[in-house]
Amino acid sequence: MPQFFTNKRLIVLLGSIIVLVALIGFSLRDRENLSWPEQFVKDIVGLGQAVVSKPANGFAGFFDEVKDLRNTYEENKELKARIEKTAQLESDVARLQKDNQELRKVLDKKKSLADYEPVQATVIARNPDRWFDVITIDQGEATGIEPDMAVITAEGLIGKVKSTSKFTSTVQLLSAHDSRNRVSAVIQGKNNVYGVIEGYDKEKKTLLMTKIPYDSKVKKGMLVTTSGKGGVFPKGLIIGKIKKMVPDEFGLTQTALIEPAASFNDLEHVMVAKRSMTTVRAEKEERKQVLIEEGNL
Amino acid sequence: MKRLYLPLLMIALFYSDNLFVTIFPEAAFDGKYMIIPRFFTIGLLFMAVFFDRNTAIKYGFLFGFLFDIFYTGVLGAYMFFLPFVVYVVSKLVKVLQNNLFILSFIFLFGVALLELIMFQLNVLIERTEIDLAQFVSVRLGPTLLLNLIFYLLFSFPLKSAFEKLQRIYND
Repeated sequence: MPQFFTNKRLIVLLGSIIVLVALIGFSLRDRENLSWPEQFVKDIVGLGQAVVSKPANGFAGFFDEVKDLRNTYEENKELKARIEKTAQLESDVARLQKDNQELRKVLDKKKSLADYEPVQATVIARNPDRWFDVITIDQGEATGIEPDMAVITAEGLIGKVKSTSKFTSTVQLLSAHDSRNRVSAVIQGKNNVYGVIEGYDKEKKTLLMTKIPYDSKVKKGMLVTTSGKGGVFPKGLIIGKIKKMVPDEFGLTQTALIEPAASFNDLEHVMVAKRSMTTVRAEKEERKQVLIEEGNL
Repeated sequence: MKRLYLPLLMIALFYSDNLFVTIFPEAAFDGKYMIIPRFFTIGLLFMAVFFDRNTAIKYGFLFGFLFDIFYTGVLGAYMFFLPFVVYVVSKLVKVLQNNLFILSFIFLFGVALLELIMFQLNVLIERTEIDLAQFVSVRLGPTLLLNLIFYLLFSFPLKSAFEKLQRIYND
């Protein structure tokens, strides 16, 4: 058996371990956005990726369409039943919207937390190693996308923008395991119940919403949306429905298991929600100042 | 001009991983299994055995770096461990025979080694919380099966491609 590591190789190995640890530490740091070399590489790779993935998406879409065709009859029946209700709902929504606008004018309050401007985007890549649920979309800083914006599909919230480059952005899905990934949410009922979405259970496929008061009356099937109170996401994006309530380990609060409204699998078209109202994300200098002030206390 | 075929082949393999993830429905088998394509890694190992080990290490370094930046966001992981796996596998190939049957075991061992390293790394940086038993049943088994199928389908074309490329480079 030949000698596995000679002296020179050992030094190379140790040197690269040091570089590895430094690089991993650098990339896991709580940083605002990518450094410019990373952004540059991302744009170049993203260009090739878009060329490859667009025909592939079309190809994959073909099979889905064939599958859809088989269910057409049943779907049609169900949709016909729903369409009758929709007309009434539509006129209600239009009336309420007008009401709302007029009342806002009276109050002199033009912007609301719920306002957002959607940016259409196509998913061009998904992390093939699947350790961390991130997708890459084909819109970036050039169309005004910034880190921490909410990303939705027609069904509901799926995640937030993690980092951006000029022409691509990386979206971290709600199903990604990250202790810093929190969404301020509200359970809609007679009295709104506020809580924080703090994680995802991969086996049960449910989101976990914690810090719900122990005496709140939450029932199965109630709708959960974003509250807009986190300062980043717009208000009213649908997250999912309550599946089950469980008391937390100390019995002081409750935890809700939420069935997500949007599927995190096989995403193709998504929207990035640009919030119209100012976000609380402080400028870099302001943040530093706050830190200094805290240090003095 | 013909020298360009090598980078082109590697770029095609690099994107093929993601192509597979895009086309293959994630909800297949009730979403119970995580099937990870490692086509680029297998191509790289073929390159190490049938073309040149040091070039393969350089390619592993470069494409691992691209992979880290574009897909995972954890810099250094693939950049460092792809060349490492290439090195270990090429040492094993020298000890054992290199006919395609035995190579399939060695290459699958390489893929398993890479998966295991990435598992440990992701546990370390708290990006996952599955345990070893879950990892083996949910990820490792199906992944090895998929890559074995890839090996069976593409081992002959890849081998002949790299042997041809070697002749082009030697001229």
